[in-house]
Amino acid sequence: MTGSGILSDIVISALIVLGASFALIGSWGMVRLPTLMERLHGPTKATTLGLGGILVGSMLYFQFNAGVWALHELLISLFLFITAPISANMIAKVHLHHLRTHAKQDIVGPAGQPPKASQASDWATYEAPHPDSIAATSES
Amino acid sequence: MAVPLMLYTLVILPFLAALLIAIGSSHGRALHSGLAAAGSALGLALILGIAGRVIGGDVLAVSVPWVPVIGLDFSLMIDPLGLMFAGLILGIGLLVVIFGHFYLASDEATGRFFASLMLFQGAMLGIVLSGNVLLLLVFWELTSLSSFLLIGFWRDKAEARQGARMALAVTGGGGLVLIAGMVLLGTIAGSFDLMTILERGDIIQASPLYPVMLVLILIGCFTKSAQFPFHFWLPHAMAAPTPVSAYLHSATMVKAGVFLLARLWPVLSGTELYTVIVTSVGLITMLMGAWVALFKHDLKGILAYSTISQLGLLVMLLGFSLEMAAVAAVLHILNHAAFKAALFMSAGIVDHETGTRDIRRLGGLAKVMPITAIVATLAAAAMAGLPPLGGFISKEMMLDETLHVGLFGISWLVPVVATIAATLSVAYSLRLAVHLFFGKPREAEPHARAHDPGAGMWASPAFLVILAVLLGLVPMALAGPLVSSVAGAVIGNAAPPLGLALWHGVNVALGMSLAAVAIGALLLWRHAGLLRGYEAMRHLDAKALFDRTLGAADREVRKLIVATHSPSLQRMLFASFAVIVALVAEGALTGGGTLTGARAGQPASAVAIIAWGLLIAATIAVVRAQRQRFLVLIYISVIGLIITLAFVHFSAPDLALTQISVEVVTILLLLLALNLLPKTPPLLSSQPRRYRDALLAIGGGLGIGGAAWAMLTRNPNDPISSFHLANSYSGGGGTNVVNVTLVDFRAFDTLGEIIVLGIAGLAIFALLDTTSRGAAGARLRSWQEDMPHSPERHPLMFVMATRILLPLVLAVGIYIFLRGHNQPGGGFIAALVVAIAFLLQYLASGFDWTDARRRVGEHLLIASGVLVAMATGLGSLVFGANFLTSSFGYFQVPLVGEVELATALLFDIGVFAVVFGAVMQALAQLSQISQRAARAHAAQVEAQQQGSEP
Repeated sequence: MTGSGILSDIVISALIVLGASFALIGSWGMVRLPTLMERLHGPTKATTLGLGGILVGSMLYFQFNAGVWALHELLISLFLFITAPISANMIAKVHLHHLRTHAKQDIVGPAGQPPKASQASDWATYEAPHPDSIAATSES
Repeated sequence: MAVPLMLYTLVILPFLAALLIAIGSSHGRALHSGLAAAGSALGLALILGIAGRVIGGDVLAVSVPWVPVIGLDFSLMIDPLGLMFAGLILGIGLLVVIFGHFYLASDEATGRFFASLMLFQGAMLGIVLSGNVLLLLVFWELTSLSSFLLIGFWRDKAEARQGARMALAVTGGGGLVLIAGMVLLGTIAGSFDLMTILERGDIIQASPLYPVMLVLILIGCFTKSAQFPFHFWLPHAMAAPTPVSAYLHSATMVKAGVFLLARLWPVLSGTELYTVIVTSVGLITMLMGAWVALFKHDLKGILAYSTISQLGLLVMLLGFSLEMAAVAAVLHILNHAAFKAALFMSAGIVDHETGTRDIRRLGGLAKVMPITAIVATLAAAAMAGLPPLGGFISKEMMLDETLHVGLFGISWLVPVVATIAATLSVAYSLRLAVHLFFGKPREAEPHARAHDPGAGMWASPAFLVILAVLLGLVPMALAGPLVSSVAGAVIGNAAPPLGLALWHGVNVALGMSLAAVAIGALLLWRHAGLLRGYEAMRHLDAKALFDRTLGAADREVRKLIVATHSPSLQRMLFASFAVIVALVAEGALTGGGTLTGARAGQPASAVAIIAWGLLIAATIAVVRAQRQRFLVLIYISVIGLIITLAFVHFSAPDLALTQISVEVVTILLLLLALNLLPKTPPLLSSQPRRYRDALLAIGGGLGIGGAAWAMLTRNPNDPISSFHLANSYSGGGGTNVVNVTLVDFRAFDTLGEIIVLGIAGLAIFALLDTTSRGAAGARLRSWQEDMPHSPERHPLMFVMATRILLPLVLAVGIYIFLRGHNQPGGGFIAALVVAIAFLLQYLASGFDWTDARRRVGEHLLIASGVLVAMATGLGSLVFGANFLTSSFGYFQVPLVGEVELATALLFDIGVFAVVFGAVMQALAQLSQISQRAARAHAAQVEAQQQGSEP
């Protein structure tokens, strides 16, 4: 094995270990944190830095060891960057909705209740639908 | 024209005309009748073109195998008998089309009428030209079906619908009996080829099965030809438009039974059994029909019963098993076709011009409708058998033949009864003419507006009547060679020498004929008194009897269905699963062998053990949480994920991709469905039943598990997969064996599966669309959301993200689709991936928004998918390869490089469309239910608000 091979192997391993650590931390957070809004932070770490590290490692591995440009990983990160925040956002919205309708009593964690929206408007989840919005045009 | 082509053209022409008329049904009456007339005329020209050859003794035949396994060949043959009937069908068909053009108002559904008429013509031609008895049966049933359509043409009339149903039940039922008879006949003869059967009369009559076969075939013939006791459908079939009655119920369809008797005459006739049954049935029918006809008041009713009587005469003549009687039958078929069609058309004209068909309200029409009167009177005279018309000759021949036949050992029985029937037929024929056209008008109103119709309407009956007259005046010149040749074909060898003439000198038959005319005239003179006597008698109402029988059968069948096929889904599922489990258990226990095979196991990795543990935990969780539907769904998705991982672990990327995408789609759809269901299902089953169901479930699970264990611990025995692996690239042009198997090796299976999937999609539509009606619909409409909904129905981020994702996912879908032939992917997975992207649009932006942007409907997708796949398969036939053979090639495309194109890709497009369509169908139906409920709810709220305002 050549010197550069060893170097690249070290870099790749480091990236994978870094990614795996973040994934572990994210998962640990999921278990450990008491309230939903706080738990939400865990997976975001796992999907961004955690998966990102592993994906970059994978790209480098194919670049150095197999000698091919691997762009799949970029595509995967692109999809993740689009979908992961949306999922987190939707979960948060559902949580707010639950709080509003008192469908569920959440434990108040160290961070307290979610902050109130500014005076001008309310959380979108709490708003009445605007009559000319997309929402009003469908279903009802 | 070459003979084969000519015969095929002859049979296909009417069907082609029917198709063209149906396509052009939005056009006017002239196009419909024009096409029908052109088809008939062309066929008639073809028949006339070969008439000389066929009458001269040539039998033209052509045959191609259709279903050789059961002996069904598409073989056509034309001999003198077929020629005569084909001529009648086409000739009278042409006249009826002309008549019908003027008879039907232009705002009626003339397209449907003439298309059905041509359909019938084709079916009838098929019967008389079939050279294979199984093929004959096919056409036989077709005549029943097309006559159903024609009798029920005025479908808004109850009597038309009931008449059509009765005709179908009787003639269709008779057709089923005939099938049994024909199969027996073919089995005895050792061939279903008509010519072969006709040569094997001795073998057939010597067979012990002959009596059974004979009775079955006779029932088929008697039902079709309205013979006693199956005659009752014919008068009710008179609810059809008059052109139909003139065509089907006088000249052609009812003659199908007579035709078949004549066709099989050499094989069936001659035995004691045959003579007794056929002669007596014919005799009874003849007498009974003539008697009833004398007292009917509806013109078409009179004609219907007279037709029954005349058909009885024909059947009786064929039943004599005498050669000369067969000759008389042939002559009378011609005569009857001419005068009866003319009479029906005349009745139609009278109905058309006066507005009534009741003979008691009409009379003295000769003054106002002279042409119709001349035509109808001459036709009635022919029916009465008065000289010098054609009817006289055939009737005299018939009476002459009766003298040679003794029935039940009584030599005078047949001649006396036949003379009585002839007397009655003179009476009803004369009554028809006299009461209709002569004397004083009985009612002023119908008489006042009556006048002769245009030439277009009376031309057809007038032409037929001229024929009827000529058949009497110059019988030998007009019909001599034809009758002689046809009779020869019926008998099976040369016909006896023929001397058709009006005057044969003084003989017994002439005496009988004279007596019939004299007494018939007397009966007419005394008709009023007879009528009172007839009406004082009790009569059996065949229709009520038929309805009662049918109703009773209906009730019994319903009882049986409820008893065996209980409408409880749970019970049916339990029964079917119990049977399966029992069968498998029985097979496993009695089959012998060991559960565990010889194959060595593999060491389990730690990952596999963890996944396995998760799988079991999720399964147990599903059972425990079974009453919380949402939780169950989550656990089920865990199971699906682990199965996907298992596929990855065992190097089955195609299966893994399919599994994960199916999993996502089903979970999404189930979530939507869950929205409509109670969040916790009500407890419906009692405790013992739950134990019972659990027992069955455990049994089923053990069975499946055992089977899997047995399979996995054995080495595969000469697996077909090795063939697939070896031939995938060389034969199918793809390195992805799974995909090549789907679209090439087992493409026929895949075709079947996508058709099933398409049907499932349509079934979702059928089931959920009809739930909007009835009790379930009312429940669904009153459904109210049982969870508080967020006012923010379409979160902006979610909406925008799905819209950005759509083109990306589409690209992924196309990529997966295209690479499918060589790498994991293919039409099925691509369709699911694309479907997920669309499902997300519906979820995020709402059904209305997304649906408004959709151009292609689900039904179209499903249908076009199946059609594309079929067309791809059929395409290979064009190149001389077998169905669904795939072909591939490599092409250089600029910039892209070498590209493989395979016909399997086209097939895969079909798969794609069906899968995508089925998923979208499910989605559309689910959302429509909640939309309907929302709309109903909104309407309710609005109504309440309006109610409270004032």
